[in-house]
Amino acid sequence: MIDKTCLKVEIAGIKLKNPVMTASGTFGYGQEYTPFVNLNRLGAIILKGITLKPKRGNPPPRVIETPSGMLNAIGLQNVGVEVLIKEKLPYFKKFNTPVIINISGDTIEEYVELTQRLGEVSVEMGVAGLEVNISCPNIKKGGMVWGTDAKATYKIVSSIRKVTTLPLIVKLTPNVTDIKIIAQAAEEAGANALSLINTLVGMAVDIDSRKPKLANISGGLSGPAVKPVALWLVWQVFQTVNIPIIGIGGIIKVDDALEFIIAGARAIEIGTANFVNPRVTIEIIEGIEKYLVENNIKDINELVGSMKI
Amino acid sequence: MNAILNIKVKILSRKEVAPNIYLMRLKAPEIAQEALPGQFIHIKCSSDNYPLLRRPLSIHRIDREKGEIYILFQVVGEGTKLLSQRIVGDDLDIMGPIGNGFNIYPESRKIVIIGGGIGVAPLLALCEESIRQGNEVRVLIGAQKKELVIGEENFRKLGAKVDVATNDGSYKYKGLVTDLLERIIKEGWLADQIFACGPKLKLKKIVEVSLDAHINCQVSLEERMACGIGACLGCVCKVKTKDKKEDKVKYEFKKVCVDGPIFEGSEVIWDD
Repeated sequence: MIDKTCLKVEIAGIKLKNPVMTASGTFGYGQEYTPFVNLNRLGAIILKGITLKPKRGNPPPRVIETPSGMLNAIGLQNVGVEVLIKEKLPYFKKFNTPVIINISGDTIEEYVELTQRLGEVSVEMGVAGLEVNISCPNIKKGGMVWGTDAKATYKIVSSIRKVTTLPLIVKLTPNVTDIKIIAQAAEEAGANALSLINTLVGMAVDIDSRKPKLANISGGLSGPAVKPVALWLVWQVFQTVNIPIIGIGGIIKVDDALEFIIAGARAIEIGTANFVNPRVTIEIIEGIEKYLVENNIKDINELVGSMKI
Repeated sequence: MNAILNIKVKILSRKEVAPNIYLMRLKAPEIAQEALPGQFIHIKCSSDNYPLLRRPLSIHRIDREKGEIYILFQVVGEGTKLLSQRIVGDDLDIMGPIGNGFNIYPESRKIVIIGGGIGVAPLLALCEESIRQGNEVRVLIGAQKKELVIGEENFRKLGAKVDVATNDGSYKYKGLVTDLLERIIKEGWLADQIFACGPKLKLKKIVEVSLDAHINCQVSLEERMACGIGACLGCVCKVKTKDKKEDKVKYEFKKVCVDGPIFEGSEVIWDD
């Protein structure tokens, strides 16, 4: 048995100590988790989704538990990019973990302006890359979600690509007929990596009041319930594109993370599980290392996409 | 606010004190040392992943000397049901203490504490602390019926004067707990502060009555919660904001978990 293994991976040109990242929206602005997690041990930190202007978010109830998962409809409540730059990013200077910023917008112009603004401060503030959330509605196109249409995906990603040299990770929505077409469009438009999946749209009903349990009616489903769907989509996208994939969806223990890696994910994001076990990221990093050693795998990259069929 | 801990604590005792309402005593010296009345702990009720999320429960009593805390909870769903079935000697995975806690003003002399239903949960620790600080305390308990009146004797033992209202009149005053509040104000027993916990509609009424009498009122709110540490923004409530230019809608969403769970009654917007 080997006694040492290499957990390092490279995603979109960003060098990670290990493949474990935090999923946007589940790890706040990082600081919330410092009582439980040494941020230096994480592969990367992806911050709560940011928009150009602050957003108030949806009325409550915003979250509801469902079998082996939860629905959320936070509505992208966030402090806006200027407060992020001034008050949130300086905190990360004392850590050596790459910080990736998840960006959202209602129009192409908003995405572009946000990207340019983050580009301006990226060196000073240590912004390692951007994760583009294309699961927001396109206001100008009647609320259709960018990421559900290949042409719209190409358009938004290429527009962002034109104005930045920062590594771009495009986060794909599972609420589509064929994710492979969307993945290809993102790759052709210049994405350096893909992360998937975002949440599945769902709903829950209160049978006493006959009202939806979420004030927003619909919400995004996450947690262990979505894992098989996410794995299948990662596997399909892995066979389709040449850029690295970050697997997301219901990872709550090390075995889940390994499944994603074997199915083709070079890194993984942990989301809902942070709410249940605030130290889960660290436990999964340690678990991956143990698995590699026990299985005589010297480098995690050997495991990526190694599914036998 | 102190650092939030994530620890395993032992269940020392468990008792059904009223139909479907349980009192649990936990060995948690680290939390007992730091906890303030009004704070809560976030509990992993199941030993596997169903139900998935933790459940936030108020700290009912804090015993610093013995290093123990108590929780008082009603079984309302899968999570609390599983919690009620945990046995003495079991380890519970908890996070806490969380939240801001009630703010008892040093200059206060007279305090009214109002609990509706299981809303009495955070109020025993508050009553104890209020009395310790030299306040004269009156406790008003509201419940649907006699069997659901909880903690009356415990408040009295601490030295508070306790009045009870039941909706069906099966015990003491027949009517709403807010009637009792209106009555003591009318009688001229004017508190410096009012603290309340219970169903939203009841809190709204208590705040109205308090503000009419120009008495500061703090309320303990609850909302569906995921992380419990201010990261997910799931458990928000609507709170008035100070006038800002170009900001026509004068409210914002604050996190019940770490901005609360105690809010000034005057700043909460109840319209939902």
